[in-house]
Amino acid sequence: MRIGRLSGWLLLKRAALAGVLLVILLVPQLFSAFVASSIGVQALVLGIAAASIIFLNSAVGMVSLAQTALYGIAAYTTAKLAVVQGVDPWVAAMAAVGVTVVVALLFGAIASRSEGIYFLMITLASAVITYYFFSQVTAFGSHEGINAVEPPRLLGKPFVDPTGMYYAALICSVIIYVLIRYLRRTPFGYALQGVRDEPVRMRALGFNVPLLRTSAFVVGAFIASIAGVLLVWYNSNISPGAIDLTRTIDLLTIAVIGGLGRLEGAWIGALLFTVVQTYSPAYTDRFETLIGLIFLAVVLASPGGIAGIARSLDRFIRRRLGESVDAPALASGRQP
Amino acid sequence: MASRTVVGSGRRASAWAVCVALGVTLAACGTGSTPSPSAGPIKIGILSICGGPFATFEQETFSGAKYALIQNAGGKSLGTGPEDGVSGATVSGHPIQISFGCSDASPDKALAEARRLIQNVGVDVLLGPLSGDEGIAVANYAKQQPNKTFVNGTSAAQQTTLSVKAPNFFRFGGDGAQWMAGLGKYAYQTLMWRNVAILGEDYSYPWTQAAGFIGEFCPAGGKISKRIWIPLGTTDWASAVAQLPSNIDGFLLLTGGTDTVAVEKEYATRGGNLATHMLGGSSVMDPTSFTVGQPLKGLAGGSPVPLGSTDSAWTSYADGLEAVYPATPKGSLAGSLFTALYYDGMNAILQGLKQVNGDLSGNQAKFQQALSGLSLSTPNGPIKLDANRNAIITNYIVQIVSQADGSLGFKTIQTVPNVDETFGGVFGPASAPSRDSPTC
Amino acid sequence: MTLRRLRTEIARRLAGGLALVVLVFVIAWVMVRAFGLFGTTGNLPQFIVVTLNGLTLAGLYFIVASGFTLIFGLMRVVNMAHGSLYLLGGYLAWRMVQHRALNYWVALLLAALAIGVVGLVMQQVFLRWNQGQDLRQALITIALSVILADQMIPYFGASAVSIGAPDGLAGSVRLAVYDIQYPTFRLVVLGLATLIGIALWYGIRHTRFGMIIRAGVDDRAMTSALGVNVQVVFAVTFFIGAFLAGLGGVLGGTMIALAPGQDAAFLLSSLVVVIVGGMGSLGGALVGALALGFVDQLSGIYLPAGYTNYSILLTFALLVFVLAMRPTGLFGRR
Repeated sequence: MRIGRLSGWLLLKRAALAGVLLVILLVPQLFSAFVASSIGVQALVLGIAAASIIFLNSAVGMVSLAQTALYGIAAYTTAKLAVVQGVDPWVAAMAAVGVTVVVALLFGAIASRSEGIYFLMITLASAVITYYFFSQVTAFGSHEGINAVEPPRLLGKPFVDPTGMYYAALICSVIIYVLIRYLRRTPFGYALQGVRDEPVRMRALGFNVPLLRTSAFVVGAFIASIAGVLLVWYNSNISPGAIDLTRTIDLLTIAVIGGLGRLEGAWIGALLFTVVQTYSPAYTDRFETLIGLIFLAVVLASPGGIAGIARSLDRFIRRRLGESVDAPALASGRQP
Repeated sequence: MASRTVVGSGRRASAWAVCVALGVTLAACGTGSTPSPSAGPIKIGILSICGGPFATFEQETFSGAKYALIQNAGGKSLGTGPEDGVSGATVSGHPIQISFGCSDASPDKALAEARRLIQNVGVDVLLGPLSGDEGIAVANYAKQQPNKTFVNGTSAAQQTTLSVKAPNFFRFGGDGAQWMAGLGKYAYQTLMWRNVAILGEDYSYPWTQAAGFIGEFCPAGGKISKRIWIPLGTTDWASAVAQLPSNIDGFLLLTGGTDTVAVEKEYATRGGNLATHMLGGSSVMDPTSFTVGQPLKGLAGGSPVPLGSTDSAWTSYADGLEAVYPATPKGSLAGSLFTALYYDGMNAILQGLKQVNGDLSGNQAKFQQALSGLSLSTPNGPIKLDANRNAIITNYIVQIVSQADGSLGFKTIQTVPNVDETFGGVFGPASAPSRDSPTC
Repeated sequence: MTLRRLRTEIARRLAGGLALVVLVFVIAWVMVRAFGLFGTTGNLPQFIVVTLNGLTLAGLYFIVASGFTLIFGLMRVVNMAHGSLYLLGGYLAWRMVQHRALNYWVALLLAALAIGVVGLVMQQVFLRWNQGQDLRQALITIALSVILADQMIPYFGASAVSIGAPDGLAGSVRLAVYDIQYPTFRLVVLGLATLIGIALWYGIRHTRFGMIIRAGVDDRAMTSALGVNVQVVFAVTFFIGAFLAGLGGVLGGTMIALAPGQDAAFLLSSLVVVIVGGMGSLGGALVGALALGFVDQLSGIYLPAGYTNYSILLTFALLVFVLAMRPTGLFGRR
């Protein structure tokens, strides 16, 4: 009988997961254009950006607040090239990713010599510098930003028919997810794990720790730049207000709520955030308080975020249903 | 997973049934809020600002828009707060439902609110936004929503209608350069200024206003020796005032809301004379700046509305507004261009709707055509739209004066009729004002 | 090994030399523009006003940042809610002065004390039980700052307000040179900042409590092992830090203005001051505050025309510059 209940639970989990995946695949068909774009596309894109934070934290133990600025750089480069220079959107996108990676090399070189809380503050300073740069330099439109950014014709108009944009964001999300999980298993990934857990020992073993950290930062920037390109295509507009301090904290909030240690948390947190952000103005002006309270609750009660809660719940139920849960899985709790 | 599940074909089938049921249920709940074409209530969204330095104008804009509904559509006020609604307004038999949205002068928040109102709430017409850069972003968005109508609030950047030219975006208030018509000549001929500095916020609307001033001042022979542009959101304007050169005849202040108060206070504290050494942009000439007090007496500036005019069209508007939305001090709500222009915008919408009997079918084509050809008579003069759907307005020079009861008020000292956006050919689509252009 | 050390030594010396050259160049540039040397028209009155602006602003930054660095130096807590405490203190005093017509100085003291208590409560409820978890504490304080900032808007309004200075200090004073009129209150702030600086220095250097704080900054575990009740020391220090933030808020609200967004601005400026000066160092906070105040004000005037809008970038470039050379700040130590 017990085996039956346990396998019943596992079956239910798989069915639910399959159901969720099916819904995700069919969002443009199942929901209105507004929901598909405002919730669907936005959650996917913010999820990609949050995934860069989660990757950096779980792989290398660095919480970076510069990811918003990095996706801003990608967005601005795409917009400037496409609108002002008339470059083809795909080419502009590739150039944007390239520029962001180069800037990340610069930021990373300065920031990688610091750890922990110092790293957090230096990345915050980098984010603020980037914000002020874009809000002052007239070549990027200063306060007005750049308007009329058109996505490639293949993706369609995001707010009229979001199907193209949605599937592009979905494909990118899947690729990023697979890429990060793959990276964990490469020698590079293992080296990063070493830097996260025992940097002194790694240095003694001859690894170039600052270089490894900078490389990880660059990978994070690559991920964030994809999000930036998708974001500017989705919004048709980029302005400094999209990368200010509030947005930087919002992205951190998404990563924390979803679960700083689990990669799926990026998209879970992004979905929750987007839903609250879209629908709460109808009930209250105090959206930030709401998000702040959820953030606080998660940090106080469950540092693993929502993904962590789901995992603990699952383990609890499995244990109650008779399965002996292996200890190592309990202890690590951290795997993207 | 340590265990193995024993699943027969029957279980697998039921698992798939669960998935399909889940999908269908979600589909049923999810397909909501696709805005239906208006047969019945007409939904109007009003977009203003409630955060940042211009939050002071929220009350004025919403009150102006609502007063138009009360005066001309039979509405009844549900309260005097800025976001208290209006009930019972109808036009051609269609009831009117209003929704409010507000941002903070940044384009992306304005866009998000515009999208929420248009696509989530499903408004048919959007009145707004308030600020220059927001207007440019919303006008671009309007191009993506050709079956909805966008009527400008007070956003006054030049490019919004001269460059973006969205076919469904209508500006009945004119742009910021038009609001400065007459002031450049006034500075040169009446105040005898020859060498001037400009101090303003660093975005498109102050640049547009500067362009309007320069367009008259420089051809007359004047010179701009320095332009000081301060980022929006700065609260320390003391250092900005310190940057003013000492050898100028006067300076033009192009700020709005709380920034205006900060500069005026600082300048007066340092011993400066606001009446002889300063001219105000249109947002400077607003009752929200009266907290500075007596140093303001004599300060002149450009404005699209005849503040303090004794003309009956203006006084009946002001008195009527005061009766519905009383403000202290008396007349402080009516004495603002933000109130008047949102009032004009809503009136334009109502008149257009009346002309087509509330018929918004066919992608609102008839309604938009009616708006294009509208001849509006407003408390601030007659309004007609040009080919870019921007208004040809009458502009005024207004001055802050001391009233009989000792409080501050306005007086209109000059009227400039028939001002169009190109200033008679001076401005064009390529001449987007910026920090240094137009040159002088 | 020695070759690498030699290389880093040379790099550091070179960087230090470069920094010195840049500093000398900047000072020379400002002096030329101010005094009108080499044929340029000088503007000495403007220079004096701007220098005073920089000094008074530095005073305000110092008051706020000293609280921040005290908390970090002793407890390793990066209090990201420091800016919110600043703003809340200002708003409370504003309400007291405006609505209850309280005496300005009474309102100042009450507001600062109230914020001290708020900080104390914050520390006891949220930070006491997770000491050592730096990141978690930073996240908690970030969440608190978001909630506080958003809650202040419905209670205190979304537009900027400023606190009326006490009568007699609200006007301007005529300086002896060039007949310049300078706002009196800004000079008062400078005076107060100096007093507070001296009081803090004396307190840290010459009192027993200050000695305990210094010991705690140097070696927390040992201090605790020596029988000092570290929890009480932490609580009192957090109270003092928050008190200073609230005090700064009242002064800033009178000197400049209070508005949503000022909390973020002052948190960032405290971060810059403390990172440049070195975490946990009061002397560093002084140097950092002066550097920030002067770069902030002077760059608006003395940058070549057309670049004045980039003055804000300069303040952060200063930060990056210092960090690139000394990752722990000028006077800091890990």
